[in-house]
Amino acid sequence: MSLSSSERSGAGVYIGTGLIAAFFALFLFYPLYYVFKKSLMPEGAFSLSFFKLLFSNPVMARSIVNSLLIAMNVTLLSGALGFIFATLTVKTDLPAKNFWGNMFLIPMILPPFVGAIGVKYILGRFGMVNTLLMHWGVIGARNPIDWLGAPFWGVVILETLHLFPIMYLNVVGSYALMDPSLEEAARGLGARGLSLFRSVKAPLLAPGFFAGASVVFIWAMTDLGTPLLFEYRAVIPVQIFNSLQESKENLLGYALVVVALAITAVFFVASKYLFARRKVEMAAFGRTSGRLIKLGLPGKILITAALAVFIALALVPHISVALVSLSKEWFMTALPEAWTFEYYGKVFTHPMSFSSVKNSLAFSGLAVVATLITGGAIAYMISRKRFRGRWILDVCAMMPLAVPGVVLAFGYVQVFFGTFLDPRVNPVALLVISYAVRRLPLVVRALYAGFQQTSVTLEEASASLGASPATTLRRVTFPLIRANMLGAAILAFAFSMLEVSDSLILAMEEKFYPMTKAIYMLMGRLEDGGMIASAMGVLGVALLAASLAVAQRLLGRKMGDLFRA
Amino acid sequence: MILSITADAPTLTKTSETMVSVELKNVVKRYGETTAVGGVSLTIGKGELFFLLGPSGCGKTTALRMVAGFITPDEGEILFDGRDISRTPPHKRNVGMVFQTYALFPHMTVAQNISYGLRFRKLEAAEKKRRLDDVMERTRLGGLGARVPAELSGGQQQRVALARALVIQPDALLLDEPLSNLDTKLRVEVREEIKRIHDEFKITALYVTHDQDEALSLADRLAIMKDGAIVQIGTPEEIYARPRSAFVASFVGETNLLEARAAARDGRQGFDTPAGWIPAPAGGGKPEKALISVRPESVRLGSPDGAAVTGKARSVKFFGGTVKIELELEGGATLTAAAPGASAAGRWKKGDTAGITLEERDVVILE
Repeated sequence: MSLSSSERSGAGVYIGTGLIAAFFALFLFYPLYYVFKKSLMPEGAFSLSFFKLLFSNPVMARSIVNSLLIAMNVTLLSGALGFIFATLTVKTDLPAKNFWGNMFLIPMILPPFVGAIGVKYILGRFGMVNTLLMHWGVIGARNPIDWLGAPFWGVVILETLHLFPIMYLNVVGSYALMDPSLEEAARGLGARGLSLFRSVKAPLLAPGFFAGASVVFIWAMTDLGTPLLFEYRAVIPVQIFNSLQESKENLLGYALVVVALAITAVFFVASKYLFARRKVEMAAFGRTSGRLIKLGLPGKILITAALAVFIALALVPHISVALVSLSKEWFMTALPEAWTFEYYGKVFTHPMSFSSVKNSLAFSGLAVVATLITGGAIAYMISRKRFRGRWILDVCAMMPLAVPGVVLAFGYVQVFFGTFLDPRVNPVALLVISYAVRRLPLVVRALYAGFQQTSVTLEEASASLGASPATTLRRVTFPLIRANMLGAAILAFAFSMLEVSDSLILAMEEKFYPMTKAIYMLMGRLEDGGMIASAMGVLGVALLAASLAVAQRLLGRKMGDLFRA
Repeated sequence: MILSITADAPTLTKTSETMVSVELKNVVKRYGETTAVGGVSLTIGKGELFFLLGPSGCGKTTALRMVAGFITPDEGEILFDGRDISRTPPHKRNVGMVFQTYALFPHMTVAQNISYGLRFRKLEAAEKKRRLDDVMERTRLGGLGARVPAELSGGQQQRVALARALVIQPDALLLDEPLSNLDTKLRVEVREEIKRIHDEFKITALYVTHDQDEALSLADRLAIMKDGAIVQIGTPEEIYARPRSAFVASFVGETNLLEARAAARDGRQGFDTPAGWIPAPAGGGKPEKALISVRPESVRLGSPDGAAVTGKARSVKFFGGTVKIELELEGGATLTAAAPGASAAGRWKKGDTAGITLEERDVVILE
């Protein structure tokens, strides 16, 4: 009797691993394999014909270049901003550091495709800026400046504003892990200035920095919502999206997906193994700040002013979306002429928007449950069980970071065509699954951190006192990682509510639209579409802001770790 | 001891019927290429306080964790009163464990921590309450029940860990380096406390440590482990006085290891050593060459005049109760002598020459 129960715990690992493996196989690997097969073996034999076609097609070739350039620019800008801001708040005596620390996180709450709505009202042909310029007689009424004629930079700026906080959190996290005594030791040995940075600080900061950078790069390269709203078509994600809209099967789409995946994979692997190979992090024993750089009064004033201007500019998209959502009419005037709350009401009365809110709540809720169960099991096994192939589980759990949403959604549409999961018939299951898969790395990270902080000996103590494994989990482990579970759930929920690519691609019929798809569709409508879309955007932003605030409280400083590759 | 069978004896005290013997039979545990525990056999008698003593990495903690059930042995059996429990999961073994880090549940109060194990035992509420009160009183935790572990001192946390393990009336009490997180002074206090509690509860206990003082002062019997194997089992006195190998001799207490060569003198079997000739102990083997162990306190120092062997004091260190004198012998070998501090202090100083005699009955021929 006693023998079998011991065996069962061993069997549990295998059953758990088996179920998780099946989940990954069906919803991650098979779709990718299918896409690869279709594009590399179109006639059943290996051929690169589609890639020849892809690169000889000027639009496609330009799309690839554009996407790479967007990703590079966003990564460089975000990295520079994140590093500068982190250094200012951690390493200098800048006043009101906590205030700035919070301000830097605010841009993150605005999904760039929502920001794009506001920007269009500000920078459109007859938007706020042009209207003011006409009013002041700087430009003529008949030839407004086409600010959005270069949507490339619009996309880069909006994505940078959304993503630099991730870099900021990562660098702050790396600083926190850096023992200030190391810096002091280096100083004692005579290093200072640039040589100190190069020899000691840079190598210690690099892993955290590049871990964040790879997430930012992949995100920026494969973001579908922002270029779509700017009507910037010559980028990879929009081309993939379009290939799915065509009635007959467009095999170029497959090739494009493979290219996107290849680029992200190369970047992901490179950043992980070139820069973050060695474990250089170590817990700081004392205070994390170490020696602070003295800015001096003029420096403080100058930097504070610069930061204030930056934050003000960074909040322009937020403010303009809010203005749009509250405006009764806004055309050819600097500011809306009349104000109203009616569009917030319409979010809940307009059939498309209201059903989309309900859909998003339901899909995201289900996705959170799914991802907590799967992610919890994975995190538990990685941190608590020793078995062969454990690292594979770890790699699989982090894979969705390297697999862009457009790629996954594209794969789902193709693979499950004609099956009972066919998104053309009913996309609910696939939407929930894709949300869950996309949030899996975040949840595994958060829960793994929780398990790691909770000493195994507490579980052993519980077992030796007579508690069964299930009771131990319920009475000891769960209460101790409750903050991590809650934080992970809240973040996963909020990000699912604002998930763009899966929602745009998988939800094809109006009754299945989630919020993001409804926002996109409403933007295409005249009359009050833009206002309702903005109101929905504002509500989404409010939800995300509240979620991040709560998660930050629950997860503390560890939150930066969740946005790493 | 007669007290425990009187009518008003504390309920948690074991009697000879409820005490359990613990036996390890040829237990093996491997991790890949390395063998953590390689064929350990030992028997812990009912109510015995048994120690596993060894340097870190010797496999003592692995052995303990196999008894607790956190690790399943690859080979061999673990028997409680003759019943094989080596495949029983930990929560069905009824062992109480005190962890090195105490492993107190941080989200529970002291009382909740201690009574946690009682939840899983079919007992009347009144009996649970009685046991909780009893154990808290006997571990001197009265009045602390509502605190959480973070509000306790190290010594108090230690006692909560003990109380929590004892309240379930375990078949065996396992202690994994329980004193290593306490400072020196507290360690000695808690050591006495553990001894007192063990005497009172009369529980079969396995105690793992790398600290020879703990083992020698508390153990009924102890086993010395090295590289996953037991090298000697015995009472503290036996282990100290009759170590079987150079490892045991130098790990348990301080010793001088000297090379010896068989040499008869005046018709008696014996050995020539750098510190003079010694007679062979009765009953021992008579090897040509051997290593001998002489405890520093068995080295007697006297006047060099007429002494067969002399040494020159290379250093004299004062430790309060004792003085240790490191001597250089004529052949170049080193010998350490220990003398009571009161009499030796001031008598010997660096550079002095002393006559050396060994207490013959304290000299041990090692294998």
